[in-house]
Amino acid sequence: MDIYIQLALSGLFIGGVYALISVGLTLVFGVLRVVNFAHGEYLTIAMYLTYFMFQRVGIDPFVASIAVVPLMFVLGLATERLLIRPTLEAPHVVQVFVTFALSLFLQNLLLALFTSDFRSVRTPYATAAFQIGPLYVSWLRAAVFVVALAFAGGLAAFLKYTYMGSAIRATAQDRRSARLVGINVDRVYAVTFALGCALVGAAGILLSPLFSVNPYTGADMILVSFVIVVLGGMGSIAGAVTAGLLIGVVESFTGYLAGGELKQLVYFVLFMIVLAVRPNGLFGRKGAEVMDVT
Amino acid sequence: MKPVRSPLTGLLLPVAGFAVLAALPLIFSDAFFVAAVTLAFLGAAASLAWNLSGGYAGQLSLGHAAFYGLGAYVSTILFLKAGISPLIGMWLGAIVSAALAVFLGAITMRLKGSFFVMSTLAFGAVVHISAINLRDLTGGPSGLAIPLRPSPENLIFAKKLIYTYVALVLVIVFYAITRMIAASKIGYALVAFRENHDAARALGIRTLPLRIGVFALSAGLISICGTVHAQYYLYVDPDSVMGLNLSLNFALMAIVGGLGTAYGPIVGALLVSVVSVVMQAYLGDQISGLTQLAYAAIVILVLLVAPTGLGPSAHAFLKRRMTWLS
Repeated sequence: MDIYIQLALSGLFIGGVYALISVGLTLVFGVLRVVNFAHGEYLTIAMYLTYFMFQRVGIDPFVASIAVVPLMFVLGLATERLLIRPTLEAPHVVQVFVTFALSLFLQNLLLALFTSDFRSVRTPYATAAFQIGPLYVSWLRAAVFVVALAFAGGLAAFLKYTYMGSAIRATAQDRRSARLVGINVDRVYAVTFALGCALVGAAGILLSPLFSVNPYTGADMILVSFVIVVLGGMGSIAGAVTAGLLIGVVESFTGYLAGGELKQLVYFVLFMIVLAVRPNGLFGRKGAEVMDVT
Repeated sequence: MKPVRSPLTGLLLPVAGFAVLAALPLIFSDAFFVAAVTLAFLGAAASLAWNLSGGYAGQLSLGHAAFYGLGAYVSTILFLKAGISPLIGMWLGAIVSAALAVFLGAITMRLKGSFFVMSTLAFGAVVHISAINLRDLTGGPSGLAIPLRPSPENLIFAKKLIYTYVALVLVIVFYAITRMIAASKIGYALVAFRENHDAARALGIRTLPLRIGVFALSAGLISICGTVHAQYYLYVDPDSVMGLNLSLNFALMAIVGGLGTAYGPIVGALLVSVVSVVMQAYLGDQISGLTQLAYAAIVILVLLVAPTGLGPSAHAFLKRRMTWLS
């Protein structure tokens, strides 16, 4: 019995980071109606930034976030201006493949710069743990979980209580009406996209003491994120958090019961089933995902 | 609407183009160049197959590597375990792929835009992971090697140049199939769906069976390319015949050359191989990733500057020039 609680706990912890990755993706989709297929590369970039700050300057990953998160925000602003805004009105194929090509570009840029070697951030506190009853809890993983949820909560508060947050929500609901009531929609797009990058950057920082990084790390992670975002309902932040935690637990159990390689198979099959049965996900608004078929 | 084709652009130009392609490996006959041309032809054939569904119907699949890989695996496994010739195996592979495409299409064809893309990504991943894990059948991550027993009925040739022409035959056949479908009622129905599915529906065009049918045809044809890939390399492994990058490349070749045109995938595939040959000639393999980096940059530029693809954009540009002059 204890082992199952232990599994659920470790799944929940990693699920917190999955949730944070997915929140950025779902936010961008909800507002811009664009799936950023290069989302994973921003995770990789943040992990490299954290690694080099730790390795060369000796800054702790949690402290590094003060610099890395704003950097990722600026990178997001630049990406939106150069690639996303010019293609917002373009045919769907251009939107999909511009972000796919960006993903290919960034992956190979990182490969050319840093080779495919795995690099890891080794903190002295990585193995420290405490015990509650029969359960062993890693300090690091618990902290990562708490910080990840704090970021997601911070985003929810930002969307709810600030002017920009309201503008973002209004644009997500109806971009034309938002423009009519005087919201600067272009600015909303820029800030939303940059927020998405900053959030996935935060997730990258949190992952770096747990996983090593190479140019393909983000690409591997991002497929899980698609599963989560669709399962939670495209555009729904509460959905992304719930589904992120759920997928974390599912992965932890299938990894234990069926082995590491098959756990991916399980959630992809789950993904296909969700798309077939309930493509608007658990919390999604209807209408974005299916068409009337003849 | 499509303009009426003159015999010049409709027949003479393609024939002349294919004649030039056929002459390429004879003019530059060193092994490095012949290999590059062969891969370009094979890529062009696969991209033509992808374009039938992705270009004409606008179903942007990023799971087509699964069908390519199935073609490679089915023919190879049948050849190794039962001694069945790949000439038969490739048709069986195509049937398996087409059947799977019908199943996938039935589930996913009602999904819109990015949701369809993501469902095909997931499908590609499922097949890829299965191929890695079904070790008894597929040899797992290390793959399967085909013994070199040259004979036409094994589709194994000691001279690599023969594969170049096998691939060219695929290109010509797939090009002809594309032209036939594009000029048919089916082609028009698919384009109508792609451009505005509500309007197509209002006109009473039932596209779902057509879209599933073309998806299956596209899957079957690309699966044949997979068999030829296996026979060319005499080796099959999950990453090289089923990787996501392969799916992405099939799509990008068509998009760069001209999505939803019969010649686009061929233009795109040739461009890709020119880029990779030039990059390798100048930079060698000193730094990995540079060829792909340049390729990705070119794709982004094309999407921003000439979103309909290089072929159609050049055509429109020339047309403007012509009307200016006259």
